[in-house]
Amino acid sequence: MGGYAAVSHQEGQTGKVGRGGVGFIASGTLAGSAILFVPIAIFSLIAWQTFGSAPQGTVTHFLIITVAVLGFSVFTGNTGIVSFGHAAFMGLAAHITGVLTMPVAQKGVFLPDLPSWLAGVEMNFLVAGLIAVVIVTVIAFLIGMPIARLGGASASIATLGLLIIVYGVIVGARDFTRGSQALIGVPKTVDIPVALIFLGVAILLARIFRDSLPGLELRAVREDEPAARAIGVNVQGRRLLAWTVSAAIAALAGVLLAHFLGVYSPKEFYFQITFAILVMLIAGGMTSVSGAVVGAIVVTAVIDVLRGVEEHINAAWFSEPTVFGLTDIGLSLGILAMLFWRRDGLFGFWEIEELAGGWRRWFGLATPADVAESQAARIDQEGALAVENVAKAFGGLRAVDGANLTLRPGEIVGLIGPNGSGKTTLLGCISGALDLTGGKVALDGTDISDLAAHQIARRRVGRTFQNIRLFAHLTVIENVKAALAASGTRLAAAAMDARARALLRELGIESYAGRRAGTLAYGLQRRLEIARALALEPRYLLLDEPAAGMNETESDELLGILGRLRESRGLGLLVVDHDLRLIMRLCDRVVVLNRGQVIAEGVPGEVQANPDVIEAYLGKRRAATRTTSAPSLGD
Amino acid sequence: MDVVVQQTVNALALGGTYALLALGLAMVFSVLGLINFAHGELMTVTGYAMFFILSAGLPFEVAVVIGILAAMATAMLMERIAFRPVRNAGTATMLLTSFAVSTILHMLFQNLISARPKALPVPDWMIGALNIAGFDIGVIQLISISATALLLFALTIFLRRSTLGIAMRAAALDFPVTRLMGINANMVISTAFAISGLLAGVAGVLWLAQRGSVDPLMGFLPVLKAFIAVVLGGLGSLSGAVLGGIVLAFIEVALRAFLPDDWLPFRESIALALVILLLLVRPEGLLGRKEAIR
Repeated sequence: MGGYAAVSHQEGQTGKVGRGGVGFIASGTLAGSAILFVPIAIFSLIAWQTFGSAPQGTVTHFLIITVAVLGFSVFTGNTGIVSFGHAAFMGLAAHITGVLTMPVAQKGVFLPDLPSWLAGVEMNFLVAGLIAVVIVTVIAFLIGMPIARLGGASASIATLGLLIIVYGVIVGARDFTRGSQALIGVPKTVDIPVALIFLGVAILLARIFRDSLPGLELRAVREDEPAARAIGVNVQGRRLLAWTVSAAIAALAGVLLAHFLGVYSPKEFYFQITFAILVMLIAGGMTSVSGAVVGAIVVTAVIDVLRGVEEHINAAWFSEPTVFGLTDIGLSLGILAMLFWRRDGLFGFWEIEELAGGWRRWFGLATPADVAESQAARIDQEGALAVENVAKAFGGLRAVDGANLTLRPGEIVGLIGPNGSGKTTLLGCISGALDLTGGKVALDGTDISDLAAHQIARRRVGRTFQNIRLFAHLTVIENVKAALAASGTRLAAAAMDARARALLRELGIESYAGRRAGTLAYGLQRRLEIARALALEPRYLLLDEPAAGMNETESDELLGILGRLRESRGLGLLVVDHDLRLIMRLCDRVVVLNRGQVIAEGVPGEVQANPDVIEAYLGKRRAATRTTSAPSLGD
Repeated sequence: MDVVVQQTVNALALGGTYALLALGLAMVFSVLGLINFAHGELMTVTGYAMFFILSAGLPFEVAVVIGILAAMATAMLMERIAFRPVRNAGTATMLLTSFAVSTILHMLFQNLISARPKALPVPDWMIGALNIAGFDIGVIQLISISATALLLFALTIFLRRSTLGIAMRAAALDFPVTRLMGINANMVISTAFAISGLLAGVAGVLWLAQRGSVDPLMGFLPVLKAFIAVVLGGLGSLSGAVLGGIVLAFIEVALRAFLPDDWLPFRESIALALVILLLLVRPEGLLGRKEAIR
């Protein structure tokens, strides 16, 4: 379920060679999993040897619930979409394995209406569990298809709908489940060692997925969906992958819980467990695997204490009626406190080995040598990106109204125009963020008008955004790696790292590689956005106001960088900016847009003198006085 | 023909309740980006307020008014105490906050009042049916439909004519820009909660009149339906929420009327599955819109 098999051959690959198998698992993944697992394993095994049966049960239950939390976290943590639906997969798996393993004699009593092919079945719990997990995973994949298309709050509510649907189906399918009554007599085969082994598997799976390239791409989507599309991430595909993997882990938890409890009703897998698991996720930090595990530990401990207090209070002061729900109220207040004061949970966005200061330093290992320089080979100079008669209307407003322009590799074209003239809209049309209402965009003669943003990105057309759209909670280097991953680069972890570093060096920001992107200074964020776009190895790069908000020194540096990119890579740049000084110095040609139409095109000097351009910028009367004196824009 | 008219009336009555709830949710969502899980507890608050007023021997009409006012006050209190501290946090944080608020209220109802349902006597004139043009139509259904229509009409006037109403609509479209226009954010948000409380209170009265009792969890199911209605209509769209509520009710009533008996236990599951399939075709919902990217 690692995720690589599903993505190694994907659409629109640029023919790069994939390498290595084990090399894909970053060293931090294994270290981080071990740091989490080993202390839990030691504690559990001691408990197994020394505790009585009741506290042993508490430990086993904790281990199983942690597996469930990891299941939730693979989806919720990586996508940022809160799922209420995973308890449904647990319940489904628990009921499937229950029916398959229940002794034949008991089936005759409790489930008399079972079809004959099931009535005689009595399986080993491992076989039945495997069957349950496989069936649930397939079902989850099918259900995931519509859910992956929704984003944010809509998706959360859809998962809530899912929980209710599946609960209804389990209760309604009386032939198989005894309705809302409990299944009885399911073999109790799960004790501490069994649960521990599967917890180890779940931790490793969750970490591998999080650190994998699809995982990184998903975290990029979580941070900024449009930007992720612009670097070529297939958002729906990745969400569906995370959904399916996480459902499989949740199903595993359901199987384990079934064979731990032995007796359970559908209600066991409804809102209460969902709530408890979400509390654990929030407490630890929703976005990291370490957070999920530590959250499960902390909350289990708190619940245990609250239960004790509750029983104590009820025994001491109230004989009848008892106070109920102290545990739930305590957890709710705890959640509120957490959300008010430490919103990102105990671990924030970090994993445990990252917090420990980087495990390499821990174990005295050096960072890998620079394996590959950035492949800054000059690109093929054939072909062109052609915008032909493109139109885009928002309701009655024709933001772009029949615009034409051509961009060739090795060329820098400036796109200017007054505010509201349709520059950003035109970039959106080219990059696939917006659907065209007319005309077409052709890439080297192929029509790409109908392609989605991520498909266009994979055809090596990169873009940056007017409002910086970085993946703020990912590190600087992860921002670039996400783009490398999304564009189909498949390298071993170390080589990937080196490639990303080379790109950062090209933009002069290598020394910030380990920082969270959101903490960089403004000018550096702009550079990182360009580095990220370059990871696609674009033939054409669309820059939306790269110098906005920069002072003169910064914009001069940017000018140097852009000039060098053209020289070293030979890519075609389309630059939108209001800094006319920059445009005039940088560009070979300038295209002027006004009211969605191209009103002038030519070398900077010509355009500056064009009366239509001056009129568009300054208005008719002012333009008339300007043309009589020496006209010049952008001084 | 009889059946069709009868079921249409049923669907409209049920859809009206869903629409009121969904509209309240959408109102808050469009201003704040908050999916309020505790919305159902507002209905429950209405129920308990009515229960206490009626126990004190006051007339039903007074209980209705106090019940609705109680829901409005609770909604505004919720905003002030629980949601203001997390106002600028992400959707997920706010959603979980409201989930916690909902749980706390459940527990308080259970411990301070009772876990068991409390009977809520409905006046005799509300029970029974009127004969209109040859069709027997339930009084409660009639009240539901007319109350919904009246409330939606009044709200439309408020949103289109009053300054505050126009500010609310502007905030629903683009809250940051609305604030830049000098609109008081707290005012708009409080009003949104007050209106959502009013709508939930009225929906609560209609719901209670049909059930005749109030219990701690009574708001849960109808609000779940309202969530689905909001997403179906398009998150953030006010008219979409109303449409979503009515469409959902029509789906449910049609399934109840026409599904074979064997399938009836799966009625709710099938209705929700149909909605999710609709979303497969229109991920933005019926009246939703895509956002511009800059």
